[in-house]
Amino acid sequence: MSTELKRALYNISALADLGQEITAGGSNFQEKIQAVLYVITGTFLTNKGAILACNKDGQMHILAQRGFDQLDPGRAAEEIKALARNEPCLLPAAFGADAGVAIGAGILTPLWVRDEFAGMVLLGEKFTADPYTAEDFELLRIIAAQIAVALNNHSLFRDLSAQLDENRRLYEEMRRIYHDTLQAFAAAIDAKDAYTKHHSQRVAKYSVAIARELGWNDHDIEGIYVAGYLHDVGKLVISNDLLNKKKPFTPEEVDQIKTHSTLSHTIISKINFPWKDVGKMIRHHHERLDGSGYPDALTHEDLNDGVRILTLADAFDAMTSRRAYRDKMDIQDALSELKNCLDTQFDNRILLAFCRVLDKEIKGELPEPDILPHFDRDSDLSVIAALLEGIIRELSS
Amino acid sequence: MNPAQFTVDSRLDGDTAVIYPKGYLNNLAGESLVAECGRYTGKGIRKIVLNFGGTGLINSIGISLLLQIIEDLRTIEGTVCFSNMSKFQVDTLDMLGLLKHLRIFPAESEALQYLGAGAV
Ligand SMILES: [Fe+2]
Repeated sequence: MSTELKRALYNISALADLGQEITAGGSNFQEKIQAVLYVITGTFLTNKGAILACNKDGQMHILAQRGFDQLDPGRAAEEIKALARNEPCLLPAAFGADAGVAIGAGILTPLWVRDEFAGMVLLGEKFTADPYTAEDFELLRIIAAQIAVALNNHSLFRDLSAQLDENRRLYEEMRRIYHDTLQAFAAAIDAKDAYTKHHSQRVAKYSVAIARELGWNDHDIEGIYVAGYLHDVGKLVISNDLLNKKKPFTPEEVDQIKTHSTLSHTIISKINFPWKDVGKMIRHHHERLDGSGYPDALTHEDLNDGVRILTLADAFDAMTSRRAYRDKMDIQDALSELKNCLDTQFDNRILLAFCRVLDKEIKGELPEPDILPHFDRDSDLSVIAALLEGIIRELSS
Repeated sequence: MNPAQFTVDSRLDGDTAVIYPKGYLNNLAGESLVAECGRYTGKGIRKIVLNFGGTGLINSIGISLLLQIIEDLRTIEGTVCFSNMSKFQVDTLDMLGLLKHLRIFPAESEALQYLGAGAV
């Protein structure tokens, strides 16, 4: 085999090496570029080489280099851009000296992808002190084109990743603002009525606990959490005197208070929530399975699980909180009351889920309990647990 | 042995380090060979024998690493010899015009003898 042919084969295998390094999976970009630099310096038999990239702001920076003592190409970008695109060119020793680039004799190839300047490849004099040949130039032209595309792809990928990170950050920020706003709203609602402090928050938490027990996904759970926070937002429109009235309400006053769920719905209907059914859950949180609820007297099939969960969570918290006109029930009585109102008001499955999750919380099986922390400290947990087990047994049979 | 897994062994023979690369010299793992030479030159050793008996394939990356070792030894006025190279490896170096820049010996003992005979 002639030396020329062997050399040609070596060059072809160098191209294969290059392709392999550029497309290698598993290694990071920095390692890739380092390997690519080795391929080039090994192919052209030089101990001096560098691959530089051009930032979006036009600044050059070194991705990989060896053998150059001082390489500060930052200010030479304009000079390099003026050279023929993707064409290797011999550099006079003084090239870039004005701009502080100490390249020395060697070859510079400006890298372009379409109309974008991607960077450059620099090679120093050969180890053997032989001159670069026409074949070397031809090979370098091919190699440079591959590196240019690799750099360009990487910078596109980096831009995309940065955009994605920024979007994610904005989304998180929006979510945080959203939740802060919700809490502020809920605080405003609950502050209207001295007796319902933290009611919205508790209803939200109880609803989340039940939904999670029923296997809802995180997105839908967030939806019911929001509905729980906002279900009584319509009370903002009802007078403080009426809400805090100690004497029994007149029928007119009851009607007026009952408007709060449609008011809540009207207020939040202006918001385009990313969760489904928030409006429905809020509007119907006083409906009953037997059709005796308000505002639309819906029955079974018209009431989805979200509504059923919110209704039960709301009723349970209302019963176990003190109101202007009555004292609060203890937990056991409230649970019994929920059970007594099954079929007319509440759904078996929902009560079962509620009892199950409360039972788990009492037994310490859940790392972050949602319901238990809101109970009075003197609640008799063993009595409650026994009651829960009874209800669970009965409802699951 | 998995040729993709490149390892380096070495030993000291008097004032000469003998280094045994094992596996293919075709990726970044080969940098450990340069590092191993650097470890000895850092201690003042100026004579190195690279025994290629355990190395098969050398590609452009491997050539680049060898050039770096030769250059590093030149800088400190040391000497590096190569031994136990396969015909394929010698042919490759020949085709690249590198033979006249390298000291290549068929056996490690010959390389050691050469270095012991007073080469700097
Ligand atoms: Fe309500």
